[in-house]
Amino acid sequence: MKTYDKEKLEKLSVDELTHTFMDIINEQTLVLIEGIEHLIDEDFETFKKNLNYVIETSTEVKVKKKFESKIFKSKLMFSKADRLKVFSKINDIKNIGEFLANKMLLYKVIFPDEEFKIQIRYIINSLRIISDKISDAVKFIGSDLVKAHDICEEIKEERRKMRKEEFDLLKRLWGYDMDYLSRTFLYLKELIEGIMMLADHIKNFAEYIQFLSTKYLIFD
Amino acid sequence: MADSVSFSLVTVLIIMGISLAFAIGANDETLSALVGAGVVKFKVALIVGGIATAFGMIFFSQNVGKTVGEDILGSGVKYTDIMLLAVLISSIIWLIIGSFAGIPLSSTHSTVGSIFGVLIIYSLTQGGVNLETALNYDKLLEVVLGWFFSPALGLLVTFILFKIIARFYLSRQRGLNQIEKSEKRFNWLLFIAVIFAEVWVGANSAECVGIFYGILSSNYISIMQYWFFVVICGIFVFLGIFFAGRYVIRNLASHMTNARPSEGVIIQSSSALILMLATFLGLPISHSHVIVFCIIGLNISQKKEVDKKGLLKMALYWFLTFPVAAILGGLIYWFFVLLGFS
Repeated sequence: MKTYDKEKLEKLSVDELTHTFMDIINEQTLVLIEGIEHLIDEDFETFKKNLNYVIETSTEVKVKKKFESKIFKSKLMFSKADRLKVFSKINDIKNIGEFLANKMLLYKVIFPDEEFKIQIRYIINSLRIISDKISDAVKFIGSDLVKAHDICEEIKEERRKMRKEEFDLLKRLWGYDMDYLSRTFLYLKELIEGIMMLADHIKNFAEYIQFLSTKYLIFD
Repeated sequence: MADSVSFSLVTVLIIMGISLAFAIGANDETLSALVGAGVVKFKVALIVGGIATAFGMIFFSQNVGKTVGEDILGSGVKYTDIMLLAVLISSIIWLIIGSFAGIPLSSTHSTVGSIFGVLIIYSLTQGGVNLETALNYDKLLEVVLGWFFSPALGLLVTFILFKIIARFYLSRQRGLNQIEKSEKRFNWLLFIAVIFAEVWVGANSAECVGIFYGILSSNYISIMQYWFFVVICGIFVFLGIFFAGRYVIRNLASHMTNARPSEGVIIQSSSALILMLATFLGLPISHSHVIVFCIIGLNISQKKEVDKKGLLKMALYWFLTFPVAAILGGLIYWFFVLLGFS
C-alpha cells in the first residue's frame, strides 16, 4: 500500500487528487473481491484479513480532506460541481464496499456446491473488471471524455451480463431444499445483493461520466 | 397660461425621459452572462457595464434617436408635448401589462407603435394633415422590417459563428481539463463581448433618446440642452444598472454558473453585431428579441430542443405589441384632444 504524506498531497492538483483517490478505492475494492475469493476457497483467515483491511484502511481520508480543501478554493469555473460529484461517487464505492465487508464478517459461510462457487466467481470477476474500468474512465475524464464515454459503455455491458448471472444465482439459491440452513441462505442472498449493489453503483457512476461527456463535448 | 402649461408638460416629459433611461438600465440583463461566469467582481462588472451603456447612449444613439424623434414623422409634422406624453404613457402602460403577464415585451416596438397611433389620431383631429402625410411610411417600413430581420439575422449569425468556432476549436477540446482551460480563455473574450454589447444596447435605446430628439425637433429645447439631457440620460442609465439592475443581473447570473463562456461570447458578439448594424442604419430594434433568437440559433446549431410553446407565446405578444400600443397611444392622445389639449 502506498503512503501519502501531507507534502506530497499538497503538490497534487484537483485532478491528480481525484486519480489518487480512485486508485486507493479501486485497490480496496480489489482486496474485497480477493477476500470473497478466499471465502469461496474456505480460507477464512485470509478472508478476514482482507475484509478487515477494507474496513480499517483510512488512507483515503487524507486525500479526501486535501481534495475538499483544494476544490473549495480552486478557480475552476464551471466544472467544479461536477468534479465534486465525481469524487463523492468514488467515495460511495468505498462506503458500499465497507458496508458489504462488515456484513460478510458476521458469519462464516460454507458454499452449498461447486456450481454455486463457479457462478459467484463469475460475478466477482465481472466486478473486478468493472472496478478497474471505472478507475480508467475516471482518469480519462480530464484528458479524453470520448474514451471515458466508451469505457463506461463497456462497464454497462459487463454489468448487464452480471445481472443475468445474479438471477441465475438467486434461482439456484431459492431452489435448494427447504431444510437448507436459513443463516447460510440469508448470508448468500445478502452476499449476492451486496456485490450487485456495488456493481449497480459503478454502473450508475459510469452513466454519470457519460452524462458529463454529453454535457461537455462539442461536436461540429 | 398656455406657455406655463407647455413648460410644465415639457418638464414632465424630461423627467419621464430621464426615468426611462433609469428603467432601461434597471432592466438590462446583458451583464448577467459576465457575472455568472465570475470573470470580474460583481461591482466591477456593474461599473464597467454601466459606463459602456452610458457611453453608447451618449455617443452613438443619435441615428436611432433621430429616427424615432423626427424621421418617422411625415414631412412638416412635428411632435407636440401632448403627443410625446401620450406616446410615453401608452408605452409604459403596455410594458406594465407585459410585466404582469410575464412576457418580455419590447419597449422599442411599444414606443414606435404608440407613435403610430398618436399620429393617426393627430391626422384625424388636426387640420392640414392627413393620413398619407402624417407619417414617413418608408421609414416606418424600414423600422418594421428591421424588427423582422434583426432576430432572424441574430439567429443566423449565431448559428454560423458557433459552427465555425465548434469546427475549428471547441470540438478539438476533448478532456475536461482542456475544456476548462479553453473556457478560461473565453472568459476574457466574454468580458470584451459583453462590454461591446452594452455599448450598442445603450446606443439603440431609441425610446429614451428619441423622446429628447422629439422635444428638440419641436423646438422646446435647444441643441445644447438636448446634449445636456442626453448626457444626463447616460448618467441615469448607469445609475439604473448600478442601483436597480443589480438585482435582475444577480438573479439571472445565479442561473448561469454552469453556462460556458464560449457560448456567452458567441451569443453576445452576435447580438452586439446586429445592434451595431441597426444603430448605424438608424433602426430601433429590440435587444431582447435579438438575444432570444441568438440563443435559439445556438440551440439549433447544437441540435438542442427549442421551446416552441414559449417562442409562440413570445411571437404572439411581439405581433400584438405594435397594434395594441398604437390603439392605446391613439386613445390616450384622443382623450387629451377631447380635454382641449393637442
